[in-house]
Amino acid sequence: MTFELISGSQAAAMAVQRVGVDMVAAYPITPQTAIVETLANFEARGMLGGEFVSVESEYAALSYCNGAAAAGARVFTATSSHGLAYMHEMTHWCSGARFPIVMVNVNRTLGPPWCLDPDQGDSLSQRDTGWMQIYCSNAQEAFDTVVQAFMLSEELLLPSLIVFDGFYISHTYEPVDVPEKELVQQFVGSPGFQAQVKPNFTANLHGLSTGETQMGLVKSRQEDMLRAPAVFEKINERYFETFGRSYETIKASIPSGAKTAILAAGSTAETVEWFLPELKDTGLIQLRMFRPFPAGLLAGIVREHELERIVVIDRNCSPGIGGIFAQEVKAALYGISRPPVVQDLIMAGGVDVTRELLEKIVQAYPEEGLVDQKWGVEL
Amino acid sequence: MEEMLEFRLHGRGGQGIVMAASIFAEAVFLDGRYARAFSLFGAERRGAPVTAFIRTSRERLMPRSRIYQPDYVVVFDPTLSGSTILAGLKEKGVLLINSGEQEMEKLLQELDPEKRCKVYVVDATGIARKHGLTVGGFPVVNTVMLGAIARISGLASLENLTGSIKKRITVSIEANINAVTEGSESVKEVGPLVK
Repeated sequence: MTFELISGSQAAAMAVQRVGVDMVAAYPITPQTAIVETLANFEARGMLGGEFVSVESEYAALSYCNGAAAAGARVFTATSSHGLAYMHEMTHWCSGARFPIVMVNVNRTLGPPWCLDPDQGDSLSQRDTGWMQIYCSNAQEAFDTVVQAFMLSEELLLPSLIVFDGFYISHTYEPVDVPEKELVQQFVGSPGFQAQVKPNFTANLHGLSTGETQMGLVKSRQEDMLRAPAVFEKINERYFETFGRSYETIKASIPSGAKTAILAAGSTAETVEWFLPELKDTGLIQLRMFRPFPAGLLAGIVREHELERIVVIDRNCSPGIGGIFAQEVKAALYGISRPPVVQDLIMAGGVDVTRELLEKIVQAYPEEGLVDQKWGVEL
Repeated sequence: MEEMLEFRLHGRGGQGIVMAASIFAEAVFLDGRYARAFSLFGAERRGAPVTAFIRTSRERLMPRSRIYQPDYVVVFDPTLSGSTILAGLKEKGVLLINSGEQEMEKLLQELDPEKRCKVYVVDATGIARKHGLTVGGFPVVNTVMLGAIARISGLASLENLTGSIKKRITVSIEANINAVTEGSESVKEVGPLVK
């Protein structure tokens, strides 16, 4: 293994370079900037292998990606926060047109006021756009998941959004195993999807349709999206054979006898995992894949461990209902026999999750009965 | 040495503390421990206070929260506010200061003697100037401080520090390597703090 001490952003950019893309179109925004910088630097040294397009906005970045993907190109972009919000219209277009685009979003709070902390509201705002979403908890995961995302997207003809927290991952320098380009390229292979347009193509692409046509297309998107966990598992089996690492869509680390689990996505999951030995009778459920939502697997974990209580850490909030992960967890567990109590810890603003806070939520919640929502600032 | 160790670095934009943290983490990793460096900043510019962190452990798994109770506090610029710098420093922790005697006196007055911390000083500003390490007249003290951190913590060899510097710093490499060595040799412990 070839370890390099690099940041999560650099790891993601190096994964893109190792896979080999035809085009990168991106616009820099804190805290994603290092991804764009690293890729631009590869291009300057003639090592990107594809074209790097400096665009005038995030909307243009994703539009460029759409155009290139329509011509059969393997493309990548990255953004954060307001950049992703600005892309929103195009995100629907990517998935509807079945373009296998891979994008990294580095979580950052949406303003106002301006805030750089890693609230997940930017990526979760794109929940219903037809992109797969995978949340990474460290820089190695960021590297490996970006590599795998190209395969996943190209197999299912659906775009992937790979997500990790600003600063806690994007700006954290840590040892990452970065395999050689040849090895990664050989593993991923060349893009096998068909170009929708060719140089002398004269028809109207994605022209006006009826609601009935749309319903059929949405249905096939839904069916293909639901195949993602199985495809992901297959990719990871192969990835393990070649690189010695593999990942699950949802991962449970629950000590025997523990009836409480903390559910978290992103860097928070590692913080929780570290403190588990100090949190009595508490386990961790790390949610990696958010779209499609691994509802069946979550229910299986609950049944296997007979969980009575799940505390969801939401570094986000949908005003009017609460933390978004908690809502999804509740929906996924509705109707199972003996469902656990789902309690939501809202850390909107991407507030730091500390040991003190974890101790408080594990201890404080039961005393308060079935409180189902608590704000980090209250603890 | 088995335990996880946490470092908090305080400086100002332009002093190179973010770079120093990643160089140190890399050298520690090459010496056989896991290590991570990270920083917190907003829209930083030269002169603004900057905080960087290093965590190291024998195990890969470490928390990803900020560092509130550091084992080591390293002060690149002693004119920064004492209460911020010293916040949470562990009992029997280590304080390393780039000094400046006047500033050091002021800072040490705020250090609780009950904590029985070890205090080290190194004249990083003077050494950086001596080696011509300045940008726009401001001394860039990071490599001097690195030599001192490595010496007092014993977590990274000078050889690995030098290797990482050559990889990550592209200007004045010779001067920076000399600065690391001098930082390592000239750091000294301040006598026990008894009031």
